[in-house]
Amino acid sequence: MAKPPIITVTGGKGGTGKTLIAVNLTTMFKNEGKKVLLIDGDVENPNTNLLLGLELKNKTPVMFFKPVIIKEKCSKCGLCAQNCATNALLWVKDSYPIPFLSLCSGCKLCYKICPEDAIKEDKKILGWIYEAQKDNIDLLVGELKPSEARSASVVEALLEKLNTTLENEPEKYDVVILDTAPGAHCDVELLLGQADKIIPVTEPTKFGKLDLERIIQLIKLLNKDYKAIVNRSSLLGFKDEFLQELAEQNIEILGDIPLDDEIVQSYCQGIPLMDDSGKFDTNGAGYQAFLKIFDNLKIWMEDHKMQEVKK
Amino acid sequence: MDRRAIGVISGKGGVGKTSLTASLASLASKDPDIIPIIMDCDVDAPNLALILPAENEHNIDMQDTYTTLKASFIEEKCVHCKQCIEDKFCEFHALSWDEEQEIPIINYLACEGCGACKVLCPEHAFEINPVKSGEIISYITKKEPRLVYGRTELGSTTSGKLVSESKEYAQDLDEYEASNFILIDGPPGIGCPVIATVTGLDYIITICEPTPSGVHDVKRAIEVVQQFEIPFGIVINKADLKSPFQKEFQEFIDSTGYDVLGRIPFDLQIAHAMANAEPVVDYAPDSEASKAIIEIFKKLKKRLWDSSL
Repeated sequence: MAKPPIITVTGGKGGTGKTLIAVNLTTMFKNEGKKVLLIDGDVENPNTNLLLGLELKNKTPVMFFKPVIIKEKCSKCGLCAQNCATNALLWVKDSYPIPFLSLCSGCKLCYKICPEDAIKEDKKILGWIYEAQKDNIDLLVGELKPSEARSASVVEALLEKLNTTLENEPEKYDVVILDTAPGAHCDVELLLGQADKIIPVTEPTKFGKLDLERIIQLIKLLNKDYKAIVNRSSLLGFKDEFLQELAEQNIEILGDIPLDDEIVQSYCQGIPLMDDSGKFDTNGAGYQAFLKIFDNLKIWMEDHKMQEVKK
Repeated sequence: MDRRAIGVISGKGGVGKTSLTASLASLASKDPDIIPIIMDCDVDAPNLALILPAENEHNIDMQDTYTTLKASFIEEKCVHCKQCIEDKFCEFHALSWDEEQEIPIINYLACEGCGACKVLCPEHAFEINPVKSGEIISYITKKEPRLVYGRTELGSTTSGKLVSESKEYAQDLDEYEASNFILIDGPPGIGCPVIATVTGLDYIITICEPTPSGVHDVKRAIEVVQQFEIPFGIVINKADLKSPFQKEFQEFIDSTGYDVLGRIPFDLQIAHAMANAEPVVDYAPDSEASKAIIEIFKKLKKRLWDSSL
C-alpha cells in the first residue's frame, strides 16, 4: 500500500515564514479534498495551531528516562558516574551518586551496568504531544517543557506516532507536512531525515542567503530532494538579484511570496490566507503567489512519483 | 565598572535579535565607560559576523572544536553475537544489524557518543572518539570590539556544547579581564543552545513582536529565564505593527508588569541597514528605530550598573 508523501518545511534562519508556508500548503491540500496530516516539529515554540486558529486537545505527556538510586542496594562503587558521558551523575568516594537530571542524555548506561542493580528506571515529563482536527486536517503538535533541553526527544515521540500511523493505516492521509524549528540541530535533522521533499524557506537578505546555504548543506548531507521558497521577496527591491544568485548556485525554487499586508492580517487573526474564508482577496499578490507555488509543488511531486515508479 | 554578561533571546526566530545586538554592540564600543566583547551563540545559523566583519581579514583566529563524541565499530573484534542489538545497547536507535555481514551498523547522525555500546560490548568492539563539532571564530571587528562566535559542523548534534565552549573561549581571552560588558546574540528557541547561552548570565534582553506567535514564544523564553532566576527586560520590536492583535498584546504587557526596556517602531531603515550589513544606529542614526535603540541602551546601562543585579 502506498504511503503518503512527506514534505518538510524548514529554513535555517528564524522568522522566514516556515510555519506560515506549512499552514497554507496544508490548507491548499485540504481545499482540494485531500486528507492532510500537519506535524508541528518546532517543539521549542510550536505555533501552527495559532495560525490555524485551532484549540489543542488530547494533551499527552512525553516521558523521559530518569535514574533513581536505590540506596539500600547501592555499594557506592561509582561505576555509574565514571561511565556517564554527560557527567549527569555526581559521585564522591564513599557516598551515593547524585543524578543531575538536566544533564542526563537518557542513554541508560548507568542502569544497565550497575553491578548491584541499584539504579531504577523512572520517568520524568519532558514535554507533551497535542492533537487538533479541522475539516480534512489533522494536526499533531509537540511541545518541549520550558527549561528542558532535549527537544529532539519530543520530536522523536512525534515521529514515532507518525510512523505507527503510517504502518497501521498507510492510506489514512494523502500527504504529510512537517514544520521544523529554525536552526540546523538534531531536532531539525530528524524531521529532514523523514522527508521525501524538503522546502527550505528563505528571504532576500544576506542573512537569509547564508542560513539557506547552511541548511542546504545539511539537506545534501542527508541526500534529500529540495526546492526553496523565497518569502518577503519584494523587500527593498532585492528580488531579481537574489533569484539570480540562487540560480547561479543551482538552487531551484518553487516560487516567491511578496510582502502583502493580507498575510500579516491572516497571521494575526489565526485564519490561513488560503482558507476559503472569504476574508481575503483571492486576487491579492500573496494569494496568487501561494497558488503558483502550490502548482509547482504538485508538478514536483508528480515528477517524484514518476521516478519512484521507474525505480 | 563590574563586568556584566548579557544575552539577547526571543523564543521566536527572526524578530530582531541580531539587528538589536549589532546596534547595542556599536553603541557599547563608542561608550567611554564600556569595554565590550561581543558573541554570537546562534551556532546553527551565526549571522552577526555579517554586520561585524573583521578589521583585518588576515587576522582571524579559527579553531576547530571536538565537543562531539561518536562511536566507531572495530570489525576484527566482533564475534557476531548480536548482543548489542538484542540487549538494546543503544537508546538512540543508532545501532542496526547488517544481516548479510552479521555486524552492527552505526547510524552516525543518530549516535550521541554516550559510550553505552563501548562499555557494554563484551568483546570491546566499539570505540568512542571525539569528532569535529564545529569552529570557534574570533577577531577584532571594524567597530573595535572583539567578536567571538561558534559555528556548528552540520550533523554534529551538539549545538549546546559548542555554545558553552565558545563562552569558555571568550573567558580565556587576554582582553577578557579588562572587559566589563559581554554581549551575546542568542539562538532562537528554548532548547539546549538557549539554555547553554543563558547559563551564568547577569541579565537577559527578551525581544518580541506584537503577534500571537511572537507573544506565545517570548512567554516560553521568559519561563526559562525565570527558572534560571536571571533578571530580564523586554524589547518590543515592530511595536507599531498594524495588527488586530495589538490590543491583546498591550494587555499582556500591562498584566505581567514586566520591565519594558523600549519599543522599536517598524522602520524600513532597519531593513536597509541590514541590507548594507550595518547596525541601524550607524546606518541611519537619526531614524526613529535608532532613537529608540539609543534609549534602550541608556536604560540597559542603568539596569546593569546603577542597581545591584
